[in-house]
Amino acid sequence: MVPVTFFLALAAILFCIGLYGVLTRRHLVIVLVCIELMLNSVNINLVAFSAIGPFANITGQVFTLFVITVAAAEAAVGLAILIALYRNRNSIDVIKHDLLRW
Amino acid sequence: MTGQMIFFIIFALIAITGAVLIIALKRISHRVVSMAFSFMAVAALYFLLGAEFIGIIQIMVYVGAITILFVFGMMMTDHRNFSFGPDPRKWQQALSFVGVATLLGLMLYGISTLDMHESTQPFVGSVEAIGLELYGHYFIAFLGSAFLLTSALIGAIVIARKEAD
Repeated sequence: MVPVTFFLALAAILFCIGLYGVLTRRHLVIVLVCIELMLNSVNINLVAFSAIGPFANITGQVFTLFVITVAAAEAAVGLAILIALYRNRNSIDVIKHDLLRW
Repeated sequence: MTGQMIFFIIFALIAITGAVLIIALKRISHRVVSMAFSFMAVAALYFLLGAEFIGIIQIMVYVGAITILFVFGMMMTDHRNFSFGPDPRKWQQALSFVGVATLLGLMLYGISTLDMHESTQPFVGSVEAIGLELYGHYFIAFLGSAFLLTSALIGAIVIARKEAD
């Protein structure tokens, strides 16, 4: 059996790649994709603990379902905001959208 | 090295390669396809862990629905112009790389020094157990997620429609 620490390390690597993409990429669609990647890495942790953790039970898988639900809702609303933003300001460059910055 | 370890390494490499290609590739469509590959590899890891239901849900929701949603979002916006010119925040990019690398190093150090007694036999959760838990202990949260999905549906339609005036 694969030890649980391997899954934790994989999830940490995926989370950090997603975080770097959110912080540095300029295309708004890619920023949303990287947020999905971060949520997905959290799911890996939950399922790994649910299957081979010290107190293995079904709760981790149930919470994974909730995380997937929230991720789907977030993607739908995020893309709607993106389309409205593109229609109004004609750009999807992150740097151009600094209206609320001080 | 057991067979499970070999499959874990293969799928983990596919997932990490897909995630890196999301950041590294030039075209937006190629990036979305590499995202689908990464999610597919993660679903394979769920099957490896014995969580078949979560793996199927992952394929349906992430690889199916969310990828198509991103493809549509990409098509409705400016997808041909994939370079925005010179980046005015070079120092910020380097700084965020250093910060994220530090975070990753700390997390990997913490994971490597973790001392956890593991169950030797993997716990296999059936779909029936998930359903009993979902409709038993977490019924209020289940209703809440239903409300969340409904409001997200209505909100997405209201935000994305053209102003009818």
